Amino acid sequence: MTISGRLRTFIIIGLLPALLIYAVFVLIPIFWSAYYGFFSWKGIGASTFIGFDNYAEALRDPIFWRALKNNLIIVVASIGGQLPIALVLSLILRKSTLFQRFVRSAVFMPMVVASVVIGMIWGYIYHPQIGILNFILDTFGLESWIRDWLGDPGINMYSVSVPVIWANIGPYLILFISAIQNISSEIEDAAKIDGAVGGKWLYLIVIPMIWDTIKVAIVLCISGSLKAFDLIFVMTGGGPAQSTELLATYMYNNTFEVFRYGYGSAVSTLIIVISMILVLGSQLLMRRK
Amino acid sequence: MKITTDGGLALDADRAPLSRFLKPKWSWIGNVLLLVYALLTLYPLVWLFISSFKTNQEFFGKPFALPTTWNFDNYKRAWEIADLGTAFVNSVIVTVSSIVLTLFLGTLTAYILSRLEFRFKGILMSLFVIGMLIPIHSTLVPLFIMMNKIGILDTYASLVLPYTAFELPVAIFVVAAYLTSVPKDLEEAAMIDGNGYWGTFFRIIMPLAVPAMATVFILGFLRFWNDFAFALVFINDQSLKTLPLSLSIFSDGYGTDYSLTTAAMAIAVIPTIIVYLIFQEQIMKGMVAGSVKG
Amino acid sequence: MRKKTIALTAMALAATAALSACGDNSSNGNTAAPSGSSGSAASAEKVKLSIWHNFSGDDLRAKAVRAQIDKFKEAHPEIELDAQAIPPDGYRQRLKTVAAAGEMPDVFFTQSGTSIQEFYDGGLIQPITPLLDKYPEWKNNFMEGALDRLSFDGQVYATPLSGSATSLFFYNKSLFDKYQVKVPTTWEELMAAVKTFNDNGITPISLGNKAAWLAQSSILSSLADRVTGTDWFLKASSQDGAKFTDPEFVQALQLFKDLSDAKAFQTGANSLDNTQMEQYFIEGKAAMMIDGSWALTNMAATGTQEQLDQVEVTVLPSVPGGKGDPNSISGGAGGGLALSKEATGAKLDAALELIYAVSGPEGMQAIVNSNSVVNYNVEPDASIVTPLFYKAFDLFKSVKLTPVYDAYLTSAAADVINNGLQDLLLGGKPEDIAQKLQDAQAQALSQ
Repeated sequence: MTISGRLRTFIIIGLLPALLIYAVFVLIPIFWSAYYGFFSWKGIGASTFIGFDNYAEALRDPIFWRALKNNLIIVVASIGGQLPIALVLSLILRKSTLFQRFVRSAVFMPMVVASVVIGMIWGYIYHPQIGILNFILDTFGLESWIRDWLGDPGINMYSVSVPVIWANIGPYLILFISAIQNISSEIEDAAKIDGAVGGKWLYLIVIPMIWDTIKVAIVLCISGSLKAFDLIFVMTGGGPAQSTELLATYMYNNTFEVFRYGYGSAVSTLIIVISMILVLGSQLLMRRK
Repeated sequence: MKITTDGGLALDADRAPLSRFLKPKWSWIGNVLLLVYALLTLYPLVWLFISSFKTNQEFFGKPFALPTTWNFDNYKRAWEIADLGTAFVNSVIVTVSSIVLTLFLGTLTAYILSRLEFRFKGILMSLFVIGMLIPIHSTLVPLFIMMNKIGILDTYASLVLPYTAFELPVAIFVVAAYLTSVPKDLEEAAMIDGNGYWGTFFRIIMPLAVPAMATVFILGFLRFWNDFAFALVFINDQSLKTLPLSLSIFSDGYGTDYSLTTAAMAIAVIPTIIVYLIFQEQIMKGMVAGSVKG
Repeated sequence: MRKKTIALTAMALAATAALSACGDNSSNGNTAAPSGSSGSAASAEKVKLSIWHNFSGDDLRAKAVRAQIDKFKEAHPEIELDAQAIPPDGYRQRLKTVAAAGEMPDVFFTQSGTSIQEFYDGGLIQPITPLLDKYPEWKNNFMEGALDRLSFDGQVYATPLSGSATSLFFYNKSLFDKYQVKVPTTWEELMAAVKTFNDNGITPISLGNKAAWLAQSSILSSLADRVTGTDWFLKASSQDGAKFTDPEFVQALQLFKDLSDAKAFQTGANSLDNTQMEQYFIEGKAAMMIDGSWALTNMAATGTQEQLDQVEVTVLPSVPGGKGDPNSISGGAGGGLALSKEATGAKLDAALELIYAVSGPEGMQAIVNSNSVVNYNVEPDASIVTPLFYKAFDLFKSVKLTPVYDAYLTSAAADVINNGLQDLLLGGKPEDIAQKLQDAQAQALSQ
């Protein structure tokens, strides 16, 4: 057998099982759900084909746009908050001393605790009467800064972004740590001799070396943020008056709560389309020059 | 980027990157800040364990205080009422099967997509991106209908296969991104030694990718272990139920029995902590391997 | 080399297959076990029956319902009963997924009103009227109107497992005594009480409206009925001769807004949940609370005996010039067990017996003894139930019940008014909210 023949056999046999499982359990349901989006269907009983009406209705609904805007706030907060913090921590926490191990593990722990618990604790931090945050502000004489952090539609999206960032640093931290392992000590030493220290070292050596991992992290940030809802749902329930509504809650609500299965499916397809646009955009921006 | 400038640790000047940011005499400030941050992130876990020993009155009345008496009984009752033993075994079977399948298929696919040249590569990559973007709730009905037709509904496979499918993109991208920074000489040498593609994959690529695979393991484990939506809908048989379902039964729709809920959660969280601690070491071991190799 | 490649792939695929196979085995094993124990001849005739409900927890009512199901199981060895207790948080999602796939269980719990109507409209359920006719003493013991929201075209599709009073007016006796406030029976007295408590630094009314249905279900349903009368609401909800933009409904919203403007509720009411609101009240930080009968259980679970002794319960005050009956509480039948259309023959008989075992007179007695309101004339065992429940259930039996908004509105419109009330607490305008509700209800009905 020729080399290229062997290569081809390997590629086909190697990819087949993954592609098969992926196609059956992910791709087919996605297109199936997009198809439901063309129907007026309660999820029970008869359905009528209505073309793009559901999609058009979603795009006309101000709540859809508000949810999208709120999701974009989370995307920006995640990319601008989680990634830099995780990157810096991954550079600091690379050793196997007991202290470093402890910190590294602690940073990950919000991830293992159920969202309900995280949401409740932050609920107490922001609590309008017995909230820790307002208590601290009050103690330091900053009474004028006291707010109803989760109830005021002007600020509550920012309030909920903080715990979202805080709780999700862990995965990016381990992602970056594993990527940084790969920078060989020779390169590091060479860089040191060349005088690449501090910020220069970060920009010239570290970031280029783990560029592909950063790209993956950004995709994960975007997809995670657009699907995220549980933590915010525990804290605000999407309210008050839908001020912290997210695309995922908007979709879920229509699909399972108000008996508009077709419409919910259309929204979910829109979520995929919007995420695709964001992912493509980010990857284009990040092309290695 | 605030932490960059004032956080730090510089005991090991050779490899400690902070020596690149911070003068050694200031490093204690960095350590104190790190410690405070670590304690803050650890707090929810501590709170969960403390709450799990409280009565409901204490849980609501004094959310941050220690319990007046430590009710170990909460654990016993939660374990019995929610049948956590059975759920635990099921969760272990489902999670471990899914993670093994995900790691093997994901690493293999990542190797092929990142190291070998062939047509349709770009298209395949973008196909796998889509999987990361879909909100899983919208796939419930199609998946249910489909698995019902194939006849795997109400079996472990009805969870293992969708879990694997949905986690594959993450596995592929994390491992592929990692592999791009690994030099190709080792593989080429292995090929010349007559290892073939499979030999190279098993003997060279998999060991090299351990840190990335450990990362995928942790992420996948968390996702599978905690999944509620699929476990709720695809499993009917009481004896096949997984843990997340058992954690949410202590609610009547208007109120929740938190003494039992937190006790059950505390039990369920222990394996994830252990898995994290073990695999974090695997990620760090990769560092040693990396430096030898380099 | 090639052989090796194929062998490896085969291994991977075999592993996949083994996974599904081992799942199959275990489920087969389970279904096989009971039939084996009762002999192979009997197993052929065994009726398979499935029931889904959301009474999964450790609370008294859930235990009472499950006990009834277990009793049925023991009494009927010829029936192979698959009883699924599904956590309430996931119940609707699970039920709707199987409904969309057309794989309903034989008997399932569903909420009254809009929810059961969807199953009826979808042609998924069949009436249980024959069962009620078989046991007339059971049928006749239901309270007036108890079966209304579970019946269509003169046929009953389920009987309520529990009822709900959504707008019980709770007050803290010792706070009222301490500040010498009269328990309000009119709107002016209520506003005066609000002022007195505010002046003394006590929150007048505890409200936690994070789960936005609360203000709608507990306050608006009753308050609006006081203003508009029940007839108007029934017309408006069917969009037949009345609209939600009518001045009387706007006035009702205005009264709610007045309460909010008078600082009747604690700050941040929109970010507290109902448990926190009940906790706030039971701790004596607020003098009043308008909440549903579920609060009776929650307060008993989180309050001390001393705290519970302070709590009294009555009806919401009357409204000047209101058309509604002031001696009323919004509430009605809760959900019940519905019967799948697919059940026929022996399975149908078994299903009906199961429904009777759970929601029949014996079930009603068990449920009322678990401190749960039922729409059935039965005396709770005073030695078992809490004193507060006993008082509340007495009140419940003595007053007229008026509709709960979200049991009559379409789910889309209920969503709108829920969010609208949160908006009102934030300073929204009654007219705008009335208009949105009108639009949503009209649109949903036209679909």
